[in-house]
Amino acid sequence: MSEVKILGEFYFSQILSKPILDAQGRRVGRVKDMAMRWDSLAPHVTGIKFAKGVLDMIPIEMVSSMNQREIRLSVAFSPDITVQLQDDETFIGKWLLDKQIIDLEGSKLVRVNDLTLSWITRNHKRLMVLVAVDIGVRGLFRRLGIEFLVRRMKNNFLGWQYIKPLESRTSALQITREKEQLRELHPADIADLLETMGYKERTDLIHTLDSQQAIDALAEMELEAQVEVINQLDENTASDLLEEMPPDEAADILGELSVEKSEELLKLMESEGAEDVRELMKYEEDTAGALMTTEYIGFPLYLTAEEAINKLRELAPEAETIYYLFVVDEEETLEGVLSLRELIIAQPSTQLKDLMHKKVVKIHPLESTEKVADIINKYGLLAVPVVDEVQKMLGIITVDDVLELLIPERGKSDLDSWLVVRKRETKRGQAE
Amino acid sequence: MMWKSRLALFLSVMGPGIVTAFADNDAGGIATYAAAGAKYGYALIFTMIVSTVFLAIAQEISARTGAATGRGLADLIREQYGVRWALFAMAVLMVANLGTTVSEFSGIATAFEIFGVSKYISVPLVAFIIWWLVIKTDYERIEKIFLLLCLTFFSYVISGVMVHPPWKEVMIQSITPNFSGSPDFLLMAIGVIGTTITPWGQFYVQASVVDKGITAKNYRYTRWDVLIGSFFTGFIAFFIIVATAATLYVNHIPIETAKDVAIALKPLAGEYASLLFGFGLLGASVLAAFVLPLSTSYAVCEAFGFEHGISKSSREAPAFFGLYTVIIILGAAFVLWPGLSLYHVMLVTQVINGMLLPPILIFMVLIASKKSIMGEYANTPLFNGVAWLFTAILIGLTVLLLLATLFPGLVSGLFA
Repeated sequence: MSEVKILGEFYFSQILSKPILDAQGRRVGRVKDMAMRWDSLAPHVTGIKFAKGVLDMIPIEMVSSMNQREIRLSVAFSPDITVQLQDDETFIGKWLLDKQIIDLEGSKLVRVNDLTLSWITRNHKRLMVLVAVDIGVRGLFRRLGIEFLVRRMKNNFLGWQYIKPLESRTSALQITREKEQLRELHPADIADLLETMGYKERTDLIHTLDSQQAIDALAEMELEAQVEVINQLDENTASDLLEEMPPDEAADILGELSVEKSEELLKLMESEGAEDVRELMKYEEDTAGALMTTEYIGFPLYLTAEEAINKLRELAPEAETIYYLFVVDEEETLEGVLSLRELIIAQPSTQLKDLMHKKVVKIHPLESTEKVADIINKYGLLAVPVVDEVQKMLGIITVDDVLELLIPERGKSDLDSWLVVRKRETKRGQAE
Repeated sequence: MMWKSRLALFLSVMGPGIVTAFADNDAGGIATYAAAGAKYGYALIFTMIVSTVFLAIAQEISARTGAATGRGLADLIREQYGVRWALFAMAVLMVANLGTTVSEFSGIATAFEIFGVSKYISVPLVAFIIWWLVIKTDYERIEKIFLLLCLTFFSYVISGVMVHPPWKEVMIQSITPNFSGSPDFLLMAIGVIGTTITPWGQFYVQASVVDKGITAKNYRYTRWDVLIGSFFTGFIAFFIIVATAATLYVNHIPIETAKDVAIALKPLAGEYASLLFGFGLLGASVLAAFVLPLSTSYAVCEAFGFEHGISKSSREAPAFFGLYTVIIILGAAFVLWPGLSLYHVMLVTQVINGMLLPPILIFMVLIASKKSIMGEYANTPLFNGVAWLFTAILIGLTVLLLLATLFPGLVSGLFA
């Protein structure tokens, strides 16, 4: 185990632009920035940039003492002692100070007002490490030289483990760690983050997320914001996302884009997914067809309950709902329906055709959305199947889809903003 | 691309430039252009046209920066120049915008006085309604109503034609640089520039480009939006000057209150002139009174990293809503000062705007010329040249004004 001893903490702003004197007391320059390497345990400083426009740095090992007034070197300065910025190093001030970062703890965008650094010794080696970033008002006042005004205020630090800079300039190791931490965030929080970002940072963050997470986050946004994000992404990423989204949502988004753009994206999507979406886009707004999704669980008539349960294990993670299982023939004609409960309690060898209810409540794709809501409400359904004139199964409409329609999500124009707050609180609650 | 789909794309991204342009001809704008026409006839048309050309350039730079970076101006200043410069820029913006908010409330007070309502009733009421609407409802929809009210300013265009101004003289004056070293003239010239190109207008156009999600890819349509908007600002300003010059200047009627400006609308509306003027003034003032406190709070919170956005609750974003409320209260309270000449408030705030514009322009141009931020959308050297020249002229004028006020003999002697 390595022995770590903390020698003292200080702020980046306290040493920034302070003079650097060498062993003979000659002035070498001022602290312009510091290079940092982000490898093993904690990010640590490797060198000090001492003049503007010069890429050479003074190695941190040459610093003998440091206080509020000056930095002293242990050797006489000559160009030979300087080092160059390495590929795996980055200038910390330029990279973090005054920039926006993602606070992974509070899952929001914050601005870095100052940095907390510390001298530590590990295995008898002295290191200057990054401890935290200061995102509080007190840090802001400190930078302006008027910290004394807010002496009673608490500092608001964020440990370096919980930051995700918008511009990734660090090692692969660090990026993997960031990715893992991002994975912990709730999609609703990621959606909020994405909505408050500039489009370039937004695109970068989406590329950092894994695709399922990006889709989940996108699903949390309002249609208007979804359209904006898809419009801003490059065509390949956009089409990949659309492809993996539920087809009804993809169709909604594509329907809002210009004809050229949506054609272009559809062409880039895999043919199967694109076909489903195209099918859905045919239906006009406010019809059952526009509301439905083509993803439902349909089993053949002669499947046994046991086989069906096994099959369900495969299909369940992807399906929009698994509580209703539809029974269809080879032509995809709707023959009957059974609930998940009925399937589970049935004798394993019973065939579905003997388990199912033959009288099914269903709806035509051209019916109005009000009618859909009426039916779902009247029969207390979780989903209703959509069939055409010859009873061919086209898709399903789930109760969520109808709810979204009846209660617009996080409306801007809502007069009861408490509702929004409460909704967000429940979301947070789920994430914990 | 087919022209139809081109048009559709244009319509979907248009807005920021045109809204800014209309809010630009606000209470202060009308007051300043009218004063310029009434006092100096057609002499300041040249200054107005030059500033409109530069308005187009400045708005284009801001809109392009917004599209290329996806971020606001305050954000970029903080990231590029650090916290002290950001504080400086925000202080400048706060002073300029607070002044302009005062002038908007003066416009609101004047409009209601035309309708026979005392400012002690109208101003607190409107201030509260604006505050309430922004916090509680979707103000974008309301924005459309005030934009419609602004259309009444086209009545100056009709009026300007109906008075049969000496077109030949107007045209000659439009291309002749007029200059005088008297403090009054300098004040007026800076006022005209300061009301045409405003610090808030630059922040606002960039913020709304970002807000609309416009990217570098579909920027070229936004360029048209900005150019058309700037054209209309200048177009209406031109006719206000012409209309007031042909009616007030010719008959030596000085403008004492904003109501006198309505006289220029008499040829068109006869006895209803003041009513027509009142509606126009109300629309423009309210539109800008909505936009100003809001965009100021956005910029300041963006620069300092405070939570912001109208979709947040006041508990989540206390700094944002606090600042917004304070600006509205201060702006409205100032106007209620007894015995204050509302008209002079409108004029003076525009001069302050003009004097505070250079620092903002310098940041804007510096940022827009950086390849590291703007990539291929960085300013071209020609653009930079024009922008620096204009900034230098504006600084020069401000210095001249200060000198002329302190040592009246010196400057007028220079131009005698």
